[in-house]
Amino acid sequence: MARFIFRSVISTIVTMFLVSLALFLLVEVGSGDITVKILGVFATPEQRASYRAQLGLDQPWYIRYLDWLVGNDWRVRSRIGHPLVAVPNPQTKELEWWAQVDGQLVRWEMREGHLFALVRQPDGSVLEQPADDQWQQTPEGKEIFWGVNTKNSAVKWVRGEGEEVYVLTSAGMRKEGDGPQQYIPLRKGLLRGDPGTSLQTGRPVSVTLFPRVRNTAILAGMAFVVVMPLALILGIIAGINEGRLVDRAISVSSLALTATPEFVTGVFLILIFGIWLKIVPAVSVFLSDRAIFENPQLLILPILTLTAVELGYIVRMTRASMVEVMNAPYIRTAILKGLPYWQVVLRHAVRNALMAPITVIMLHVNWLVGGIVVVEAVFGFPGLGSYIFDSAIFGDFNAIEAAAMLLVSIAVFTRLVGDLLYTFLNPRIRYS
Amino acid sequence: MPQSPVLAIEDLAITYRIRGGEIDAVTDVSFQIQRGESFGVVGESGCGKSTVAWSVVGFLGANGYVKRGSIQFLGQELVGRRPDELRKLRGNQIAMVYQDPMQALNPSVRLGQQLKEVLTVHQKVSDQEAEERCLAMLKRVHMPDPADVMGRYPHQISGGQQQRVVIAMALLNNPALLIMDEPTTALDVTVEAAVLDLIDELRQEFNTAIMYISHNLGVVARVCNRVGVMYAGEMVEVAPVEAIFQDPRHPYTQGLIRCVPRLGADKASSVLYPIPGRVPPPDQRPTGCLFHPRCDYAQARCQEERPFLRLFAEDHRVRCHFAEEIDMASWQPPEEVQAAIQAHAGAPNGAQGSPSSPGEEIILEVEGLRKYYVAQGNSLRDVLGLAPKRFVRAVDGVGFQVPRRTTLGIVGESGCGKSTLVKTLIGLEGATDGRAEFLGFDLTVDLSKRPERLIQELQMVFQNPDSTMNPSYTVGQQIARPLIRFQTVPREQVQDEVIRLLEAVRLDASYLDRLPRQLSGGEKQRVGIARALASRPDLVLCDEPVSALDVSVQAAVLNLLLAIQKEHGTTMLFIAHDLSVVRFFSDHVAVMYLGQVMEFGPADAIYAPPYHPYTEALLSAVPIPDPGARQRRIRLEGSVPSALDPPSGCRFHTRCPRRHLLPDNGAICAAEVPPWRDVGDGHRIFCHLSLETLRSLEPVIQR
Amino acid sequence: MTTAPQTIGSRARPNPLAKLWGSLSLVFESRIGTIGFFMVAFWFALALISIVWTPYDPNASLFGQNLPPNAENWLGTDHLGRDLLSRLMQGTQVILVKTRLPNGWVIPIGVALWGVLGSLTLGTLLGLNAGYRGGWTDQIIMQIQDALIAFPRIVLYLVVIAAMGQGDLVVILAITLTGAPGVARLARSLALDIKTRDYIRAAETRGESPWYIMFVEILPNARGPLIVDAMLRVGYAIFAIGTLGFLGIGLPPPDPDWGNMVNEARRFIYTNPLAVLWPSLAIATLVIGLNLFADGLREETTRYQK
Ligand SMILES: Nc1ncnc2c1ncn2[C@@H]1O[C@H](COP(=O)(O)OP(=O)(O)O)[C@@H](O)[C@H]1O
Ligand code: SF4
Ligand code: SF4
Ligand SMILES: [Mg+2]
Repeated sequence: MARFIFRSVISTIVTMFLVSLALFLLVEVGSGDITVKILGVFATPEQRASYRAQLGLDQPWYIRYLDWLVGNDWRVRSRIGHPLVAVPNPQTKELEWWAQVDGQLVRWEMREGHLFALVRQPDGSVLEQPADDQWQQTPEGKEIFWGVNTKNSAVKWVRGEGEEVYVLTSAGMRKEGDGPQQYIPLRKGLLRGDPGTSLQTGRPVSVTLFPRVRNTAILAGMAFVVVMPLALILGIIAGINEGRLVDRAISVSSLALTATPEFVTGVFLILIFGIWLKIVPAVSVFLSDRAIFENPQLLILPILTLTAVELGYIVRMTRASMVEVMNAPYIRTAILKGLPYWQVVLRHAVRNALMAPITVIMLHVNWLVGGIVVVEAVFGFPGLGSYIFDSAIFGDFNAIEAAAMLLVSIAVFTRLVGDLLYTFLNPRIRYS
Repeated sequence: MPQSPVLAIEDLAITYRIRGGEIDAVTDVSFQIQRGESFGVVGESGCGKSTVAWSVVGFLGANGYVKRGSIQFLGQELVGRRPDELRKLRGNQIAMVYQDPMQALNPSVRLGQQLKEVLTVHQKVSDQEAEERCLAMLKRVHMPDPADVMGRYPHQISGGQQQRVVIAMALLNNPALLIMDEPTTALDVTVEAAVLDLIDELRQEFNTAIMYISHNLGVVARVCNRVGVMYAGEMVEVAPVEAIFQDPRHPYTQGLIRCVPRLGADKASSVLYPIPGRVPPPDQRPTGCLFHPRCDYAQARCQEERPFLRLFAEDHRVRCHFAEEIDMASWQPPEEVQAAIQAHAGAPNGAQGSPSSPGEEIILEVEGLRKYYVAQGNSLRDVLGLAPKRFVRAVDGVGFQVPRRTTLGIVGESGCGKSTLVKTLIGLEGATDGRAEFLGFDLTVDLSKRPERLIQELQMVFQNPDSTMNPSYTVGQQIARPLIRFQTVPREQVQDEVIRLLEAVRLDASYLDRLPRQLSGGEKQRVGIARALASRPDLVLCDEPVSALDVSVQAAVLNLLLAIQKEHGTTMLFIAHDLSVVRFFSDHVAVMYLGQVMEFGPADAIYAPPYHPYTEALLSAVPIPDPGARQRRIRLEGSVPSALDPPSGCRFHTRCPRRHLLPDNGAICAAEVPPWRDVGDGHRIFCHLSLETLRSLEPVIQR
Repeated sequence: MTTAPQTIGSRARPNPLAKLWGSLSLVFESRIGTIGFFMVAFWFALALISIVWTPYDPNASLFGQNLPPNAENWLGTDHLGRDLLSRLMQGTQVILVKTRLPNGWVIPIGVALWGVLGSLTLGTLLGLNAGYRGGWTDQIIMQIQDALIAFPRIVLYLVVIAAMGQGDLVVILAITLTGAPGVARLARSLALDIKTRDYIRAAETRGESPWYIMFVEILPNARGPLIVDAMLRVGYAIFAIGTLGFLGIGLPPPDPDWGNMVNEARRFIYTNPLAVLWPSLAIATLVIGLNLFADGLREETTRYQK
């Protein structure tokens, strides 16, 4: 058993690593020029190049991968010469990067060729001090300075060689002088809980992600609670009545359910319950992130849709497993002992029959995710599924990566749980 | 006996419905079993033995039904009973044990639980009482450490122990009738012997009626009082066990008896006579006597008129028109069989004969051969690689020599390393240590490092006829492949060569385009042999080539192998667990135990004292198809120890029944590796006991 | 046409197509299999017919908008006044019988089938190697496969499409990638089972190469379950194409896409619910048909194995 668990855990870790690498490569390296999406098609090559540098996209992929995964403050720290800390902004609660100089939090800014230090005061306000005395001489006779700028990047300024940079503002790209020569956007890294900033909104991904995850968890959780007992019971009933009418009825309807795409089910449920029967609101309008708490009946149709789709699959799995077990010799033994039929089923068949589907059902969580994306799209439900979908359409890679990694972790984790559960249920593994 | 019989079956016919028709699996079966009697049912597979058994417990599956006849249990009719009435009988008054014990027990329920419910479902007993009765029953079936076993799961005990649990389960309610369908077929001879003893004991103690199904005549001779012989869905002969073996009156019964080698028979002095043909499938049964296509005595009448099961003598019924005239003793093999057999078996052969007298070239020489596997531990330390590596010593210092044109037989219980030895020699595994030389080639390396010519000279015949052929290719394609690969013959002659090979294994060109599923087990095995012969090997390794076959087919395949050896001078290594077969087939025999050879010598020498105490125990366990033979009972205790930690000194010392003949109850056996005692004529025994002591041992079998 | 010419005298080696047909025809022994076959055949036939003939131009707005079924438009029209039957028929093509390459060429066999073929090839290759060779090869292949399985399919689709844009080939790639791990798993377990058979030992003791053993000895015996699985996968693939179409990232225009038809029509579900129904039914019946067909095939092949 130790071997089995050990392997599962190791394999899970390796899987996560491989997935993160594949995901990163696919999304960041594979996707086209993100600046087209953000800056529009009319931006000039210089504008694009400048913007890419500000995003740190001029770095090689493996550096970016590491930055993304484990952050880069520890790497950049030696350049700046001070510890770097991320503290939440008192108003927006978003993380801001500061250098810690002599116990004070400092950032820098360059204006008209002069360097200014911005010192954060205990009350959150900022005190500005000239800092031209901090330039450092290089052997080539240049004066440079590495610091943290107000846009959460570690940057390198060179005195007298202010770059022309294009800064994205709400009005479009604006050209500014005094720009740094090099950018390293600071991040703590995914493993340390920082998925980065959304390219679409400019806000940290984690801020938007949280309510979405919560909503989806509620939706999927409720669907799961409805589906599991129902599906297992129906599957067992069908399995012990193999070939009879009950079995046919259950099998055919579950096949029909699985074969009908989620979006079709969703649309028809709206038509039937919302428009014809008027039991639930036909149009679900989720005005805010908290709409599902204020108006729980909005959840009914999405849950029903998910249930319909999931039900069939699990019923079919359970049925197949039950049929197999009922034909096993040990069931024959139990019958020949003279046990009543229901005891044969309950004591000898059910446990063995549920063992096999558990791992498969747990694997199936992946599939459920697919259903969620569609269901959320059909109902305009503000959850993780619609988030990842919108991000993918926009090409907002920090957002996709964060959401996808989250989904993958859920999938991998549930599979691990499934494996462990299986080990636990199966005495052959438990006692080996 | 004035009592009514426990089981009385009259005129029983059972049919399975299948898509597009019906299968009449059983057409005409009648017999009775009295209290305290053990009734054996024998016959080749597919004759309907199991179907009869299942019909008694009312468990013919969804598609089977009793078409005709009656099954009376203690005077009550069972056919047509309501399911819940049958249920009350099952497990309570009628119990059943069938072949594969591992499959028969629920893998995820503790054994105690599975035992107790037999009691609690039929009677009002407290859990406490049920527990005690189960413990007592487990003790009764000689289960070591019963209390512990109650808390275990099936996979945690050995196959023999599992079968004991199943038997205990069957006996818990002291049933009037116990049905056993091949209960020992999957077990080793030593374990089988112990289970058979147990069955015998229990029958006498509980006065239970037993219906015992087996294809093994030896087993039936051992445990049954009366025997019914089934052929193609019919009972063809029913008689007391002595009559069946000494005075069989049905040609089929006679045929069955003639085709198994007697223990002590060898190929020089005796011949096996297979029954020609095979059991017809239910939809192709002939008219008249069902046996007539295979019967040596068949006459015109047999083809038209169906014989009935009639009383031939007191308690002896036969289904044959000519039962009175047919006498086993005066049987003459039909001419063509005689001629064919004489062509090879009568000629001088093997170690006894001239072409390969001792001193002939040694073709295979093995010395100190070892094959260790790294054991997978399961504790956390093992997983992390912290624990020291442990080895399964599957083959641990094996040595022997095989002269050209002879056969070396290897016997031993399962797990003794026979198959690993063969795998190593053939190159599926590389050896860990030691020397093995064949025609000057080194056999310690695996196949990837062997030269083409060696691969070609060393071929193998496999055990399981159902998996020996690739189901996707025709017979012709499969035999042609080695011819093409080794370029044995030029490309354009391949077809002719394939036909020649088919003829060599007594098949013909009509088999070329058949797929394996269109062949019977024996035919598949023949094709397997043809395929092995295609590259014209000097040495053929046979891993239990006949143990999965019905006895009649077994005889035919053994005869075939003998003929081939004769014709081509092939040397063979022959593995089998059936000591009679090995004795019959081999010139030399090696007895293996826990990865080591315990005894080696000429076949006839091994079967009489002096022999190794382990050989003695094996011989004592062989079921002998002769109810008159007296066999001394020597039973080994416990099971084969793990090859991970083999016992010190003599590996057999933990179970050896002869240790006490040495001073100090054989202290030396545990301490020191025994010496090889040389009996002469190449016969060696690996034991501390002196040759004098070994010689003085009483023979196991007396007639 | 596809039956093997029966050579007289010499041994006729069954032509592979005839063999395939031989195993497929088993399906007619089973009732549900036959039903499934005809459901699938219906859509194939429709796809083939639509190549030469559809009632109207599927992309032309020739009629009134959102008409109910009538004599001219048997299934009615959509919100742009296009004939639904023609669109439905045309929509089968890309799924089942043709694939459009980026350079404008069209090759036979539809996207769903190419995708499944891709995953079958890739998965079998990986699975057989993992199962037959075992050891490190197995560990590594299984690890990669685990990682691929861990990706929720839809995320994989989204990511692939986000990275490479829309197109028939991209959808094929996405189906291949999402399907391959499952096929590999199946092929591996089959190989693990089959490699214990004695005929594999026989091949090994003949000194055959691993590739020979995997593809000549093992694969033909794994064929049955793999084909059954592939049938189911075609169903999944059609399902997935529908979903992508509904989300607006599926097969690109101009060919109508069933999923996309549902998406467009649902805005007018009040007035014209049937416009949603037809493409939905199309997807469901095709998928159900494939499922039944596969079930029938499985039933019959396992029956013959025994
Ligand atoms: N469930 C079943 N359905 C159809 N045919 C069966 C079934 N069980 C056994 N048979 C057929 O009945 C015949 C007798 O089988 P069986 O009783 O198992 O014989 P035995 O035990 O002597 O080997 C065989 O031809 C077998 O194929
Ligand atoms: S009746 Fe005829 S064919 Fe049948 S066993 Fe007797 S002699 Fe042989
Ligand atoms: S050496 Fe001792 S333990 Fe071994 S077989 Fe001989 S007597 Fe028995
Ligand atoms: Mg049987």
